[in-house]
Amino acid sequence: MSVKKRVVQVKNPKTGKYVKIDREKGRIVAHKKSVGPYKNVAVARKRSA
Amino acid sequence: MIFYNPTENDVLTSWIRYNPKSTFIMTQLGGIKSIDVVAIMDQLSIQLAARNIQQLDANSLVTGRDFQSKIWKLALSVPIGIAVVSETMPQSTIANVFYELGLMNALGKETLVIKTQDFIIPSDFIRTEYIEYDDSFENRFTNFLNQVLDQAEYYRILADNLIAKPLLSIDYLRRAYLITGENSHRQRAIQIIDENEFDEHLLLMIRSYFNIQN
Repeated sequence: MSVKKRVVQVKNPKTGKYVKIDREKGRIVAHKKSVGPYKNVAVARKRSA
Repeated sequence: MIFYNPTENDVLTSWIRYNPKSTFIMTQLGGIKSIDVVAIMDQLSIQLAARNIQQLDANSLVTGRDFQSKIWKLALSVPIGIAVVSETMPQSTIANVFYELGLMNALGKETLVIKTQDFIIPSDFIRTEYIEYDDSFENRFTNFLNQVLDQAEYYRILADNLIAKPLLSIDYLRRAYLITGENSHRQRAIQIIDENEFDEHLLLMIRSYFNIQN
C-alpha cells in the first residue's frame, strides 16, 4: 500500500508549469517559474475510477 | 462562493441554473458580419457540436431582467467563454465583448479570443490566450478544446488533494464538473457535503453548482 505524501505537485495545463500542494494544510504553496517538475516532490495523478 | 450581481451590488443569494458542457460565445449578434466572422462562427459550431458542447450567446436567455444582469448570469453559468472579434465590428460591440471577457476571467472561466488577422488585441488582454483566424485555425481551436479538458482533469486532481479545505475542494470540483458534466465530480461534491458542515448560504450555492435538489 502506498503512503500518501504530504506535499505533491501537479502540472497546470494552462501555464505548463507545476504547482506544489500541501495536502495537510489544503493549500497551493508554490508555483514553479521554470519548466519541469520540482525535484523530490511526488506528482499527483488522477485517481482511477 | 460569494458572487456580486453587477446591477445591484448585492451578494447573489438565489439559485443559479448552471450549464455544464457549454460555451458563452461573445461576438456581434445582429447586423452585417464579415466573411471571416461568418466562417469562424461556422467552424466553431461544427467543432463544438462534434464534442457535444452547447453554444450559448446573449440571445439564449429570455428573461424580463435587464441585459447586464442577463449577461452576468450567463457568464456565471458556463465553463468556457469564446470571444470572436474582427476589425469590421462596431466599436460598441467590441467594448461589450471585452467587458464580458473580463467578467469571465474574473469568474475563473476558461477563455479564448479568436481574432481576424488585422484586429489588434487591447494591451490589457495581451496575455489572454488568442487564436488568429488563418489556415491553422481549425487545429489550434481543437488544441484549445483539448487543453480545456486537460484543465478539468487538473481541477479534479486539485480537488482531491485540497480536501483539507472542503470549500476549496468543492470549488475545483465545480469547475471540473462544468467543463465535463461528468457525474463523478457531482457525486464527490455530494460526499463532501455529507461529510462536512456548511451554512445555509454555502449549501444553496454548492447545490446549485451541481444541480443537487434537496
